[in-house]
Amino acid sequence: MTEITELWRYREVMWNLVRRNLKVRYKNSVLGFFWSLLNPLMQIAVWWFVFKVILESTEPNYTATLITGFLPWLFFSQTVLDSTMSVTQEISLVKKAYFPRAILPLSTVLSNLIHLGFAFIVLLALFAIWRVDMNVYWLLVIPSTLLIAVFAYGLSAMLAAWSVFYADVKFIVGNLLGLWFFLTPVLYPLYLVLNKQMQAHNWLLSLVARMLPLIKKAYLADPVTIGILGYRSALLQGGANPIVVPALSGMEPAVRASLQASLRAQYPIATYVIAAAVIAIVVAIAGHAIFVRLSHLFAERG
Amino acid sequence: MNVIEVDHVWKRYRRPHQRVNTVKEAVMAFIRGQTGYEEFWALRDISFSVTAGESIGVVGPNGSGKSTLLGLLARVLRPTQGAISVKGRICPLLGLGTGFHPDLSARENVFLNASLLGLSRREILARYDDIVDFAELEDLMEAPLKTFSSGMVVRLGFSIAVSLDPDLLLIDEVLSVGDEHFQHKSFQKLLDFRRDGRTIFVVSHDLDALKALCDRAIWLDRGNMVADTGCEEVVDAYRKAVAEAEQREREAARRQRELADRKPDAAQAEGAR
Repeated sequence: MTEITELWRYREVMWNLVRRNLKVRYKNSVLGFFWSLLNPLMQIAVWWFVFKVILESTEPNYTATLITGFLPWLFFSQTVLDSTMSVTQEISLVKKAYFPRAILPLSTVLSNLIHLGFAFIVLLALFAIWRVDMNVYWLLVIPSTLLIAVFAYGLSAMLAAWSVFYADVKFIVGNLLGLWFFLTPVLYPLYLVLNKQMQAHNWLLSLVARMLPLIKKAYLADPVTIGILGYRSALLQGGANPIVVPALSGMEPAVRASLQASLRAQYPIATYVIAAAVIAIVVAIAGHAIFVRLSHLFAERG
Repeated sequence: MNVIEVDHVWKRYRRPHQRVNTVKEAVMAFIRGQTGYEEFWALRDISFSVTAGESIGVVGPNGSGKSTLLGLLARVLRPTQGAISVKGRICPLLGLGTGFHPDLSARENVFLNASLLGLSRREILARYDDIVDFAELEDLMEAPLKTFSSGMVVRLGFSIAVSLDPDLLLIDEVLSVGDEHFQHKSFQKLLDFRRDGRTIFVVSHDLDALKALCDRAIWLDRGNMVADTGCEEVVDAYRKAVAEAEQREREAARRQRELADRKPDAAQAEGAR
């Protein structure tokens, strides 16, 4: 409790750091903000080319699906990457001034949240061009973002503290995020994972095959996955259950409908949303506790 | 009223035997069983108290624990044993311009730095003109800090710090900043502080400045408190000790040289025999 009042007392520092992070990111120029969006847009263009042109994906609305998944993913990965360095980069501050150290990872989470807000405005412009109708279910974006933000803060605090002591935490984080990206349904439809059947060809695959039901559950309970599904449900499906089988060409409508119904019965979405929320909150509390426990050593070890 | 209360404070730093920087090294060290630390006591059983209005200098050679003591008072470090209490608004000048960013304008840096020193936005706004005045940078406040010379940057940092209106000013080696004119001005400001009855706690190697500024001094050597009395007295004793140590060193070096000079003779005598 005293910790929260302490954080509140130093809120000025936090806002100033957030403002600085954003200003430095956009380098005080109007175009600077668009530069920071150009990179993800280029990435989306590359995937669109790979999936739509080379692999000839017939998934309807693929570009919108891709963007609505990539936006929350980018928020998550950028937040974790930035925050992992948040203490080591500001070590001169830590050595010279007293303030609750949790301000450092918190301010990177906040500045990434604000950046996400700006990026969302660009998305709205795109949607206006595509004539996507706005509705009340779009508000679902808010809890979805919060879910990812809470989860990201927990991971960030923990990683920020560890990277003071071990220089290579940041490389490990970069690599794991690269892997994690493919363990979320940004590029491919979710049903491919939930409907996966495996034949074991070697010992490693047979191990995976044996654990497959558990892996699927963990996949769906991942707060990042649930956050992404939340975005899609909000923006593209009018708040409907995000476990869908897209109308791919070459699939009978009846087969598709029955597969979708069975997946929805097998994976009750409400349960997974609650599980993801619990995971996010537990990770946030644990990560924060680790951070605070180690924080008094930052000034002498950094 | 005691502003600072330091009660049997010990501070230990732990250095891993081999500095472990990466997870791989940590794993290897663990496998080899090298989890030991090298312990190093930066401060040993330090006790003193400071009443409001005193100005105290800290002297001692490098590595004697001066900066550690200041870090503890500023709450940046935590004591291993013992207790410290500090009352009132502290201005820790452990370095000037904490948090300054080269890409931000001088104005933005003032707000960032002052908030790190504990000022609210309203307090900063109220002091802003005084800060700019004192730094003598009126026309440059909208320019990014990277266009400033290093002297201008420390001037700005110092001006923010002294505008803080602190009860207790902690200073680590920032007595001489900027050009001759500004050095004089900033030292005058510190003397004003002292006259206003504020508490000043300053670490410096500039012994003459300490004499002019402080009425009391603490002498630290390898973490131990050697003396804690009047500033003149401590500074003179410290100077004498340093001079004596130098003398001894010269003496030892001379003897070494003589020994080395004599050796070839001894060898020749050996050969002739």
